[in-house]
Amino acid sequence: MATLRPEAAEAPRSTSGRRPVPKRPTPSIHVIAVWGIFLTLIAGGVWSMFDLGINLFDVLVNIISGWDWITENLFPPQFPEAARLVELILTTLGIVFLATLFSVITSVPIAIFAAVNTTTGAISRQTARIIIIFCRAAPDLVFAIILIRVFGPANGALIGIVAMGLSSIGMVGKLLADNIEDVDRGPSEAIRAAGGARWQWIQSTVILQIMPQIVAHGLHRMDINLRNSVLLGFVGVPGLGQALSNAMNTRQWDLVMGYTIVITVLCILMELLSGAIRTQMMGRDSGGRRRGVLGLLERIAQNSWVHAPTDPHTAQRTPKGRVRVAPQWDAGRIQRFFGWAALITLAFLAIYDVELNWEVLMNTLGNFPDVVSRFFPPDDHGHYASRYFPALVETLQIAMASLLLGLFVALPIGAFAARNAAPTKNIATFFRCLIVACRAFPELVLAIVLVVILGFDATAGVIALAFGSIGLLAKLVADSLEESDTRVQDAVRAGGADRVQTFFSATVRQTAPATVAHILYQLDVNFRAATLLGVLGLGIGFDLLQASARSRYEILSLLIINILVVVIILELISMYVRKVVR
Amino acid sequence: MAQSMTAERATFTGAEERSIQLRNVTKQFDDVTALNDINIDFAPQKINVLLGLSGSGKSTLLRHINGLHKPTSGEVVTLGTEVHRAGAGKLRKLRREVGMIFQHFHLVESMSVLENVCTGKLGSLAGPRLGLFMYPREVKEQAMEQLARVGLADKAFQRADALSGGQMQRVAIARALIQEPKVLLADEPVAALDPVSSATVMNLIGNIAKEDNLTVVCSLHQVEVALEFSDRIIGLRGGQLVMDRDSHSLSLKEAHEIYNAVAVVTEEEIQEQAPELAGIAGEQHS
Ligand SMILES: Nc1ncnc2c1ncn2[C@@H]1O[C@H](COP(=O)(O)OP(=O)(O)OP(=O)(O)O)[C@@H](O)[C@H]1O
Ligand SMILES: [Mg+2]
Repeated sequence: MATLRPEAAEAPRSTSGRRPVPKRPTPSIHVIAVWGIFLTLIAGGVWSMFDLGINLFDVLVNIISGWDWITENLFPPQFPEAARLVELILTTLGIVFLATLFSVITSVPIAIFAAVNTTTGAISRQTARIIIIFCRAAPDLVFAIILIRVFGPANGALIGIVAMGLSSIGMVGKLLADNIEDVDRGPSEAIRAAGGARWQWIQSTVILQIMPQIVAHGLHRMDINLRNSVLLGFVGVPGLGQALSNAMNTRQWDLVMGYTIVITVLCILMELLSGAIRTQMMGRDSGGRRRGVLGLLERIAQNSWVHAPTDPHTAQRTPKGRVRVAPQWDAGRIQRFFGWAALITLAFLAIYDVELNWEVLMNTLGNFPDVVSRFFPPDDHGHYASRYFPALVETLQIAMASLLLGLFVALPIGAFAARNAAPTKNIATFFRCLIVACRAFPELVLAIVLVVILGFDATAGVIALAFGSIGLLAKLVADSLEESDTRVQDAVRAGGADRVQTFFSATVRQTAPATVAHILYQLDVNFRAATLLGVLGLGIGFDLLQASARSRYEILSLLIINILVVVIILELISMYVRKVVR
Repeated sequence: MAQSMTAERATFTGAEERSIQLRNVTKQFDDVTALNDINIDFAPQKINVLLGLSGSGKSTLLRHINGLHKPTSGEVVTLGTEVHRAGAGKLRKLRREVGMIFQHFHLVESMSVLENVCTGKLGSLAGPRLGLFMYPREVKEQAMEQLARVGLADKAFQRADALSGGQMQRVAIARALIQEPKVLLADEPVAALDPVSSATVMNLIGNIAKEDNLTVVCSLHQVEVALEFSDRIIGLRGGQLVMDRDSHSLSLKEAHEIYNAVAVVTEEEIQEQAPELAGIAGEQHS
């Protein structure tokens, strides 16, 4: 064996700090707690189903017995005249686009302050994080209702843009902050080493590196905003949602049906468009040849106006003899140019189209503190126990019942959609497509149709939100099954277990904790959506609208605080579960 | 007492012939001592190579020179700036004159090569730049000039991730050169490259150092490369200075012997870092 060298014995043991004593595995009490949370959720779901009196059999009976009424009143769907329809669609798209743009533009700086590697200090980081958490916690409807009081009910477009924009910051800002923290820090350090100041390296390295994610989150959020904009139509945000709400109020059921179809188609088109843009951006690998229109453009450009530089040791010169310092108009530059031009043009067109009232915006910003001060102190006028608390519970019940219902359907669908759990590849593909279809369908629109058929009743909301949960839950279940460690499954299978046994003993056990985290996330989503159902007369959202309509600021703030508390508790629980899972 | 201290400092900082000075520099990361009481001067216009094992403190030492790290105790003076006590503004000013290149290049991959080079000039420009179009024409022309120098003028408008590793490192060199630096710091510039690209990059650094009269401090792993390329070789081990030789008076054999003394892992260190490997290395040497 080697003899120790004298200088080594003298050298300080600089590496001794590198290998800390490994931590003991997380005590199982936390895992037990996660299971406890899971069982509580299931029990809560069952209790909610009973307490809300949801009986799927009754629903079926209702639909069958009311079938004549349905066919007579809802069919054939009626559409407004073409010009009016185009106008409504453009208004909706304009508001949704501007809301998303607004949220992305404000989210970037907030995310920069919230991310640990770009923040300016502990105080600004905490402030940014609190803003993000608040925006995430408050449902769109809460923002809309506050803004109705700020801007005045007549400025629906502005209310819609700012309300959806603010609530989008919660999601977009959080995702971007995570992206910034994951960014390769090397380039930033290189610019710092060259004397670059904070905002210089943030712009040139961090923002540039997260650009693809900025676009991806923006597109994703635009989908969500389009769906939410429908129900905001019920509180005066113009566009398809408002037209739908008018049709409902005047009981023109066939027109309601027509708008529902238009909105559904629009949602699906938006999903397809954003998917296409995302793949286009991802597929821009620099090595390979471009295909399609861009490829053609590239070939034409290369054969006519683009002169590729050839000499590595001398700078290329323009025909006028100056050093060429700008890229030539090749396909890539044309694409970038038109991308930005399209974005800016769309923004201006949208601003023009929704007829933003700048004067109101400027005036109200001035008396904003005054409006806010009217919200305090909160007061329930003695109705909290008798009215508001039960409404809050009802909203929570709708969320839990729909989660349970959705889970029952989503688990098998998700299992069949996972390639390593489904019997054949084709079955997996089929169920994957089903999930995509489920996700594209706007559940809030379904809620409207169900309310029309079943009446203003929690059942309609539960079924609609359950439907909405299926898409996401099934996708999450399928994904986590596919990510599970196949070696364990192989081992169990090698031990002679059949497919079903393997599935339950190996796959499910591995993915269960992650699934609990997903379920909690869905509960959070459902609770916020359930608040939005207030426009259909359900739960605490309805009281919110009532208080708003009667300008009862003190009640409004009480209800808002209640909603925020519930959302934040849910958030804390799911943060805890995610920590245990990791 | 106080008087003698200031007198000492006056001669210390005033010494023009030394472009970089480290005095009693110790750097502590939590419970790891990355640098342990380092004293070293770097003369201007010389090529200095730091040799040492992984974890011996090479990167840490380099980063003290431009203030990316501040010493836990001790003093660092670079080009007359007292790095250990400099504020953000002073550091920025110093860093304009100190170029740095890295093992993994640290380019922005989605940015064009030309714009990557331009970012090296940000230290002398005010405010952020949203794109290539926002840099002044002179800066862009300088960037083209440097790209021509490193032999990549034809790649100026490609995305940086379209280049090979060796080409990326040459872009990084161009980005450092556009600063018109007096000092060039290089942290294992060829560790991620194949032998052919390594030779190209090292030759490029050597030639440029001569042409531009740069002071180079470069960390390396390969003894041969170090010997061929440097004026002086400095060995680090466990955060301590264990060797300092003029490389012109050194034969390759001598260099290898010294390197082994500096860099060969001992049984004790293997025990510490990778107990499962203990015994293997020992058998090879004994
Ligand atoms: N930012 C940091 N935080 C904590 N410890 C650090 C940090 N940077 C370096 N260290 C520690 O300081 C010691 C010296 O590291 P350094 O990176 O300077 O070594 P090196 O010689 O450059 O090694 P390599 O060849 O692997 O790059 C190591 O033990 C390392 O773990
Ligand atoms: Mg290093």
